Amino acid sequence: MATVPLAILFEGDFVLKLLPVESSDTMDVLTEKARTVTVGIHVEDQPGKTIRVRKEGNDEPFPRDMTIEAAGLSPMDGVNLYFE
Amino acid sequence: MAILERSEWYDYARMTNWTPKFATEEEIFPAMHSGMADVPLSVFDSYDEPYKISYREYVDVQRQKDAGVYSVKAALERADMYNRASPGWISAAKLHYGGVPVVEYHASLMESRFVRFAKAPGMRNMACFGAMDENRHAQIQLAFPHEYVSKDRQFDWATQAYRTQNWGILAARNLSDDMMMTRDVVQTAIMLNFAFETGFTNLQFIGLSADAANAGDYSFAKMIQSVQSDEARHAQLGTPLLKLMMENGHEAEAQRMVDISFWRTWRLFAVLSGIPMDYYVPLEHRENSWKEFMEEWIIDQFERNLRDLGLQRPWYWDYFLEDLSEEHHGQQIGTYSWRPTLWWNPTAGVSKIEREWLEEKYPGWNDTFGKAWDVVIDNMANGRMEQTVPGTLPVICKVSNLPVVGIPFKTTKIEQITYKGENIHFGSIVDKWIFEQDPERYCQTQTLVDRFLAGKIQPADLGGALQYMGLGVITDPADDSMDYSWVEEYRAVAAE
Repeated sequence: MATVPLAILFEGDFVLKLLPVESSDTMDVLTEKARTVTVGIHVEDQPGKTIRVRKEGNDEPFPRDMTIEAAGLSPMDGVNLYFE
Repeated sequence: MAILERSEWYDYARMTNWTPKFATEEEIFPAMHSGMADVPLSVFDSYDEPYKISYREYVDVQRQKDAGVYSVKAALERADMYNRASPGWISAAKLHYGGVPVVEYHASLMESRFVRFAKAPGMRNMACFGAMDENRHAQIQLAFPHEYVSKDRQFDWATQAYRTQNWGILAARNLSDDMMMTRDVVQTAIMLNFAFETGFTNLQFIGLSADAANAGDYSFAKMIQSVQSDEARHAQLGTPLLKLMMENGHEAEAQRMVDISFWRTWRLFAVLSGIPMDYYVPLEHRENSWKEFMEEWIIDQFERNLRDLGLQRPWYWDYFLEDLSEEHHGQQIGTYSWRPTLWWNPTAGVSKIEREWLEEKYPGWNDTFGKAWDVVIDNMANGRMEQTVPGTLPVICKVSNLPVVGIPFKTTKIEQITYKGENIHFGSIVDKWIFEQDPERYCQTQTLVDRFLAGKIQPADLGGALQYMGLGVITDPADDSMDYSWVEEYRAVAAE
């Protein structure tokens, strides 16, 4: 297990933010951590909706139970987050 | 003995030169410092600076300027400007004083480098006066804020800022180092004197002068106009050199230098001038929006200068024109959100009536940036102040050293490359292009985030980051310039 800092862009935010996660975190854990620095900070919440994670350039999001390590994300990789 | 008229002797004096016998041309003007090594030294004799002055005249004129500026300052010392001026003006003045004076000193070092290494004797001559100008600018812009330090320590950033690792100073210092301190004479003169000085400094100095006068800060207005009158002279160093480049097979290099420096300068001025113009200056004093000001004063003139010299508009011009409507908005909500990290107390500038103005000048503002501000304001109006400062760092552009921002839902984008195994982010496709011009140069930059991730900021938390950047050291972390009084009208709506 290692700390992997990521560059996250939440849809509707004006700025990219730094988010440290653990390599063993799933995408759902990532989105929960991301919430604390985006939703209700600069992005309006959308209760009842799920947050998904997609690598810039990919069409499809990562599966929610996929880990950071399995997704092949490396330090300072950029990912897009959005409500689904 | 009768003294000759300047026109009778000046060309002899300014063209004083010699043919070296005991050292080679390369030894006296090494390519690393002087540039354009393939062009014979004699070609540089044709360098003809548009503005000519003798030392005798210079001393006389500058003495009169200083007498005028310092006498206004003395006369107004009891005007209590600090307590009478709007909080927005105080924000703008502190931002300026922290970021500018020591860069002026760097510029005097740059001019001194020209005195030694410029191949054109006329340029060496002009650079002597340029060095004295920039030293004057450093000293005068350190002296003026100093009278306010006893009232407000944030004015002490004028002398302290460049000794810190504040993120804003990292950005300004990186620009200064890249364009002004680490290139040969030719590249520096194009980037700094031509693009930065003739392109942009009028924005800050003339625009700010009008804002200062409107705010009742006549000392500042007089001082900044006086500073710019020197600039109008020594900024012209670059143009004759550009002509020499164009005439001697260096067109592509000239274009590249202009393209790099125009963008880097633009992005810094969006913070330094754009934010104050659209958010800090009181609404009743705003004559033009930032975008309008840029279009009227910068774009037309700069385009004309380029055309006259036979250069093209930078390749990213259309992208730049779009950027006029977004970059400074993103940096405003960014600097305001991360306000503890600043050396000045920022002004939010988003009261309802101000938002109407922003929507008028930038259609769509309320549906984009306004939405992000709505979240911030809702937190403030409902007492959730801890949620109005993000608990993390923004991602920082490797070139500009500014947060990577954009229009929410529209243009905020991940611009990332991998270089030597490192994932690197950029604030725009142009910053990415600049990096790609010389990756070995730019990959050496250690942004604030790089330093944080490398463990150089300890403790590795918000407190540690603030200390690292000088907050809690020179002054306390910054806060809203109006003590959040502007939130009241939103609270009243929330209560309804």
